[in-house]
Amino acid sequence: MDDLDIVELYHRRDERAISESDRKYGAMCRSISERLLGVREDAEECVNDTWLAAWNSMPPERPRSLGAFLGRITRNLSVSRWRRDHAGKRYDGLDVMLSELEDCIPSPESVEYTIERRLLGELISEWLDGLDEQSRAQFVRRYWYGDTVKELAAAAGERANTCSQRLSRLRCGLREFLESKGAEL
Amino acid sequence: MKSNDIFDGVTDIRDDIIDSAAAGDAKNAKKKRSKKLRWISAVAAALALVIVGGVMLNTGGALKVYAISEAEYPKMAKYPGNWYTDKQYDAWWASVRAQKRDLGDTSDLESFFAESARTFLSDADGDNIVYSPLNVYMALSMLAELTDGESRGQILTLLGCDGIESLRRRANDVWNCNYRDDGALSSIIASSLWLNENVSFKKDTMNTLASEYYASSYRGQMGSEQFDRALHEWLNKQTGNLLSEQAEQIEFDAETVLAIAATVYLRAKWGFEFDKENTSPQTFRGADGDLIVDFMHQRDDQGYYWGEKFAAVSQGFEEGGEMWFILPDEGVSPEELLRDAEASSFIFSPDRARTENSKYLYVNKSIPKFDVSSDLDLVDGLQNLGVVDVFDDTKSDFSPMTDDDIPISVTSVDHAARVVIDEEGCTAAAFTVMLTAGAPMPPDDEVDFVLDRPFLFCITGDSGLPLFVGIVNNPAAG
Repeated sequence: MDDLDIVELYHRRDERAISESDRKYGAMCRSISERLLGVREDAEECVNDTWLAAWNSMPPERPRSLGAFLGRITRNLSVSRWRRDHAGKRYDGLDVMLSELEDCIPSPESVEYTIERRLLGELISEWLDGLDEQSRAQFVRRYWYGDTVKELAAAAGERANTCSQRLSRLRCGLREFLESKGAEL
Repeated sequence: MKSNDIFDGVTDIRDDIIDSAAAGDAKNAKKKRSKKLRWISAVAAALALVIVGGVMLNTGGALKVYAISEAEYPKMAKYPGNWYTDKQYDAWWASVRAQKRDLGDTSDLESFFAESARTFLSDADGDNIVYSPLNVYMALSMLAELTDGESRGQILTLLGCDGIESLRRRANDVWNCNYRDDGALSSIIASSLWLNENVSFKKDTMNTLASEYYASSYRGQMGSEQFDRALHEWLNKQTGNLLSEQAEQIEFDAETVLAIAATVYLRAKWGFEFDKENTSPQTFRGADGDLIVDFMHQRDDQGYYWGEKFAAVSQGFEEGGEMWFILPDEGVSPEELLRDAEASSFIFSPDRARTENSKYLYVNKSIPKFDVSSDLDLVDGLQNLGVVDVFDDTKSDFSPMTDDDIPISVTSVDHAARVVIDEEGCTAAAFTVMLTAGAPMPPDDEVDFVLDRPFLFCITGDSGLPLFVGIVNNPAAG
């Protein structure tokens, strides 16, 4: 079913919106959540909560990309669960990812303020626009969809070490980009 | 700034970048989507409308049935099944989409559905009763094509149309948006005309019925065993043999000029079937006393709906359409609920789920298994609804049908329908123990919905229009 039709089902309060969302984007959302949390049961709950959140937000929302919209909800719900449970549980997927993303943090001398979350998303998008297609896809697959380095390497037909090094360079590149934007902000 | 902030920033990157990365992934992914096939039991309705006149018999002819025209239904791509590629899925979805019609303002349809259901479902008298509003709508539309003058005018008024052309377009749209035959969901409104071989019929009118109403037509000797058998076979074929007993009882007599036979047949997969392990005997407080019947149980997060006098939930079919279970509040009968404006609007409007009185929560459904059927004579009801002249051969005008100078009238309108549900099939739901009159707001997170007293159901196709409406007073009655 087309995304427009699924969105229309939400607006008509037709419960097939849920089953169609699950059919089309369930695997993607489960994958995102499970990669972040590493616990299938927790991921399943996050995905179920995703449909509820989507149901409550449409209407009035009419997302241009339903996949990104639903995936973003799943990410937010998953990370909320991680933050809530972090004291008692350790989620390898998200802990490792956050550890990697520390490389992207600008130095305090460059950026001495807290950037608004929405603005940060726009800046990172701007930086991604400047990358070649493969680098951009690998960064998004790793840090948005949560693919493992091993999976990315297999998809690209390269060694995991090569892929890992490229991601490391990309993270440093993002840090430099954010630092360069510091003066403008 | 912390790594959490970077994570949140990545979460909010632009949609097109996210989609683009997903598309890249899709190139490497093998398409596979697993789906279980789950079927509901079939549902069917049939209507036979017999038009009789003083016909001169030609008894010397050979006893044959001639198929004058066979309706050609739209070709649909097959439902792709358990494993499929994007190409197969897209082809299937395109053919499903091709059947969609924008019905616009449906107040004319809702008005007819509600008014006729109130009329035909008012005589349940403790029995089960099933009615197909769409089935009768299509049959009456075809009858309007065969008539003129006041005979036609009375039908147009009942159906809420200002002219035969607008009715023709409306009926065609209604037919198409309820038609599905893709291997996963069968929802077919079929019609046929049975013509007396001794009467000359106007070709243009018959062609219109074939092209706009997808009606097949057959010609033969009325009163002959062969012609009756041909009708029975057609009815059984269209309704999956669900109504064979009722079909056997329909016979033409020698004076029958023309008969319209219309059927609705639905067979669909459940979106979420009941677990047989959870089925258990339970008390149903029927119209004629308590009964022990098998109840199916299921917990699901879904929409829960309510009005001043009822609560309702739905059970969806996997590929479109759903079954709604409407539980009147304690002390309110199903018939009374049909007369209630709020409940009537909920049952008959395709936009029923847009009500503000709804909540998404966990619903614990307890639904009795049932197999309900009824056989209705609609003549008195139609006359009460204002369709009078076609039943009186001194007033009827069948001039679009034939130029033969014979008195013609409709002598019978039989409507049979049957709905069967079980764990693998249709689903029912409804009843909330927490609802009380005047305080219908459900709790925050979870509600029990127990259909343990007489209730209404409504089965819709993809269009949301009611294919079947019924009252279950006794789930144990076969």
